[in-house]
Amino acid sequence: MNSIEEKLWDYIDGICTADERAAIDELLTHDEAYQQKYLELLALNREIAAMQLDEPPMAFTYNVLETIRADYAKQPLKARINKTLINVIVGFFIVTIVGLFIIMLANINWSAGAPVSSTAAPFKMPGFTKLFTSDVFKGFMFFDVVLGLFLFDSMLRKRTSIKQA
Amino acid sequence: MQSKLSDIELIKLSLKGNQSAYADLVKRHQCFVFTLAMRFTKSREDAEEVAQDCFVKAFRSLESFKQESKFSTWLYSIVYTTAMTSLRKKRLDTSSIDDEETYIQIENVSSGYDTDNAENKSRSFYLNQAIEQLTPDDATIITLFYKGEQSLEEIAQTLGIEANSVKVKLFRARQRLKEKLERNLKYEVKELI
Repeated sequence: MNSIEEKLWDYIDGICTADERAAIDELLTHDEAYQQKYLELLALNREIAAMQLDEPPMAFTYNVLETIRADYAKQPLKARINKTLINVIVGFFIVTIVGLFIIMLANINWSAGAPVSSTAAPFKMPGFTKLFTSDVFKGFMFFDVVLGLFLFDSMLRKRTSIKQA
Repeated sequence: MQSKLSDIELIKLSLKGNQSAYADLVKRHQCFVFTLAMRFTKSREDAEEVAQDCFVKAFRSLESFKQESKFSTWLYSIVYTTAMTSLRKKRLDTSSIDDEETYIQIENVSSGYDTDNAENKSRSFYLNQAIEQLTPDDATIITLFYKGEQSLEEIAQTLGIEANSVKVKLFRARQRLKEKLERNLKYEVKELI
């Protein structure tokens, strides 16, 4: 069974049922002692609700951000580097190597596969000079420039966000 | 000037690396977090350390915040855990955190300290004094309910207990606060006479 105080606190907090509320309303109208207790608890409730929060020191936010920055600086470089960026670079090199390998294979004269003899035609290197003037090379350079601009942009963004903080 | 963005918007910006967004989030919650830390540590220096630690921990685990509850509820659970750990560390050599005797000592110090200026004290002073004399659990539950804008269910989530237990604990905490407030006021009246 709930005590009178417990019922009154539920009434003040607004967490009692409609029936309980009606019963307490009835008691508050007719029972003076009950009313007295209610007013006493209500006054305490108002006082607690009006209490002030403690203010931290002025430099609190600054100190928190400084700790976070110091924490970030302590992290090993491996943990800070974006893994997606590493994967992109790895992917780029794999594609380049595979591409060059395919070009090299395409340029080999397979019909000249006779046993090595003094009369055999000398081995011809693929036409790398042609490669540097081809569309592949232009595409490669374009990709590099875009990647460079992307990295430069992310670096500037980071610098701006640090300045804002 | 504080940001008008919601907590969730500020969190999203913070996760993108915007530190000023996190600074706004800290400014918004710092008073409550600091007050809550004060309820445990009873000293401004220790409370500052605990509160700072809480915000750093919250920043580190910001990505794990699933937005299933309010940010404040999530943050207060960090405060509660951090403050409890800090309190346990400090009291390990002396006594249990629930030991009433520990707080009786604080009670007596507080009562004796202000007897000369009793006439200048407001009721809010006595209220704060009475809250300081409560156990950390009682003081926390009262602070969360009245100043943290938390429902019984949210407090239950923060403290990791049932909502019904929160209701019972809140009732007992308010009873003890009332008793301490009455005792302190009686003591001051006696001093004046």
